[in-house]
Amino acid sequence: MSGIVTARGLVKRYDRTLAVAGLDLDIAEGEIFGLVGPNGAGKTTTLRILATLLVPDAGDAEIGGASVRRNPNDVRRVLGFMPDVFGVYDDMKVWEYLDFFARCYGIPADRRRRMIGDLLELVDLGPRRDTYVQSLSRGMQQRLCLAHTLVHDPQVLLLDEPASGLDPRARVELRELLRELRSLGKTILVSSHILPELEELCTSVAIIDRGQVLAHGRVADIERRLRVGAVFRARVLVDGEALDGPRTWFAGQPDVVTAEILSDGTIEIGFHGDDEGAARLLAAAVGSGLRIVSFARAASDLEELFLQVTAPDPVVMAPPPPVPGAPTGWRT
Amino acid sequence: MTAVAHPPTRRPFGAARDVVNGIVAVGVKELRGRMRGRRAFVVLTIHLLLVAGFAWMVESFAERTVTSNFGSTFSASADIGRALFTGLVLLLTLIVLVLAPASTAGAISLEREKQTLDLLTTTPISSLAIVLGKLFSALTWVFLLLAASIPVTALVFTFGGVGPEDVIRGYVVLLGTAIGFGSIGLFVSALVKRTQAATVINLVAVIGLTVGTTIVFIFWTAMTGSQGFLPDEPGVRDQGFLATLTRRPPEALMYLNPFVAQLDVVCGTETGFGTTCQVINGVTARDLAGVGFEEAQFGVARDSFWPRSLLALGVVSLLLIILSVQLVSPTRRWRLRLPRPRRRPAGSET
Repeated sequence: MSGIVTARGLVKRYDRTLAVAGLDLDIAEGEIFGLVGPNGAGKTTTLRILATLLVPDAGDAEIGGASVRRNPNDVRRVLGFMPDVFGVYDDMKVWEYLDFFARCYGIPADRRRRMIGDLLELVDLGPRRDTYVQSLSRGMQQRLCLAHTLVHDPQVLLLDEPASGLDPRARVELRELLRELRSLGKTILVSSHILPELEELCTSVAIIDRGQVLAHGRVADIERRLRVGAVFRARVLVDGEALDGPRTWFAGQPDVVTAEILSDGTIEIGFHGDDEGAARLLAAAVGSGLRIVSFARAASDLEELFLQVTAPDPVVMAPPPPVPGAPTGWRT
Repeated sequence: MTAVAHPPTRRPFGAARDVVNGIVAVGVKELRGRMRGRRAFVVLTIHLLLVAGFAWMVESFAERTVTSNFGSTFSASADIGRALFTGLVLLLTLIVLVLAPASTAGAISLEREKQTLDLLTTTPISSLAIVLGKLFSALTWVFLLLAASIPVTALVFTFGGVGPEDVIRGYVVLLGTAIGFGSIGLFVSALVKRTQAATVINLVAVIGLTVGTTIVFIFWTAMTGSQGFLPDEPGVRDQGFLATLTRRPPEALMYLNPFVAQLDVVCGTETGFGTTCQVINGVTARDLAGVGFEEAQFGVARDSFWPRSLLALGVVSLLLIILSVQLVSPTRRWRLRLPRPRRRPAGSET
């Protein structure tokens, strides 16, 4: 085990349901690692095992060199955990909330005062210092919960669906905050359903389903390994309604699987090639005289990967080639 | 930052210090919430009005009873003092029996309901610190109410008949009762998920340990040979279970009934073989052979019951605290759960 977060053969069973089925994990320091999967995939169970809230039935995991089985208390000192569903204490002000958790970590009073001010500034809750926690908006509570994970300056953050229930502005703010935390040297393991955001944010991802990792690594690498098809949308300037000509042209090109005319007047192209191939396709279209107004991916890469990998009959992925010094790696 | 973090270095007495820090952290948080606003002071005021009003009623009643029955005797004032003391310690016992488990009934279950327990248990704070912090903060509130009642209880000194050591004994029993029944409340709170259910179970436990044990004790006593029919009599042998009650009930049956412990304390103030001493003698049925004249003259050995009662409450508290720690710990070794339908744990995606 070499990464700051590592797991080997994690298994967790609830009654007859196998929630995590032999998961291996290796996350290098400084990564923002995304855990992607449908509901019931085992993301939350994995995070709860890493957060020492669940004991695995088999296997072990280490965070910062401490085993979640043998030294859960040492693990708790190097990680901050934000659950997907969390509550707030009644009758507690914002600063008292952070003060309480800082006391739990045994932080001395003089350091607590300074740290609370810094954290409230970091999560942009400075003006709300004396506000009661229960009166904060959902987004503010989310930021406060994130701040509580930082009171002991942990090396690793485990964030379970941190953006759920947030409005778009709050999501953008949270994303910026996570980037800032990464720049401070934190390693962040984040699970989310909002795939485009994860794609923008994460340095690596793992797609997980039925307790197993189906694909892992950098999004571009996974895409290249899987050769997953991309969907492009092209808007072509034509006279009248004569879109059938361009559609037929696209359909006849190499690596194009499908080409359909959509109701908004665009052509949707199912493309089974890489970025080089897409560039060649566009160049060929322009070269053939098609008047292309726009040509862009219809969905994010991660979404395509996710749909492809978690499909009932998914692409069977070959194990990733060993890359010396590779920062991350998942295997099942 | 290094590639792999190193586990924290061990400090001398680090574990003990962590537990103390945790107790302080949880205790401060709980007390902040409990004492915030006017609520605490309103409850304190109502409590004092209740105790003072009750004391006035008992004193008025005792004064009328004593003077009408015996006229003005040399011990009338002491009789009033003893009656006042008896009334007050029994009232305070009742208050503690209601408040102590009620204060701890939501200690853990509320954390589960509000989904804050995960946040707490992923800190290095130990489950022992969580449990003790919750217990101490809840009991601090009960102790505050008891302390506030001391000036009212001290009124007994103006009448006489009750010494300071009796009052101290009475308050020691009250403190033990608070800890014992607070622990019961805490355990139930850790065992069940809902605070409402925990409150109801606690209420049933309190009634069972006070009223229930008394009824069982009286019934058992009545069915034995010492009072009522003899089991060996013809006809009784055929009564199945009843026929097995050939021996008087053990006094341990009443150890967890703090009212009996307080009656033992009150018995210590009596100058003759009074009502409370009769009750204690009925419970303990002590063989007085070999007991000195000083102790035996009134038919019951002083301080014979309440120390054992406190010891029993202490043992029960200890056991329940250990069980509560196990229930709170996310990585507990023993699985102690109420039977329930098989389903996935709440709050977990898979």
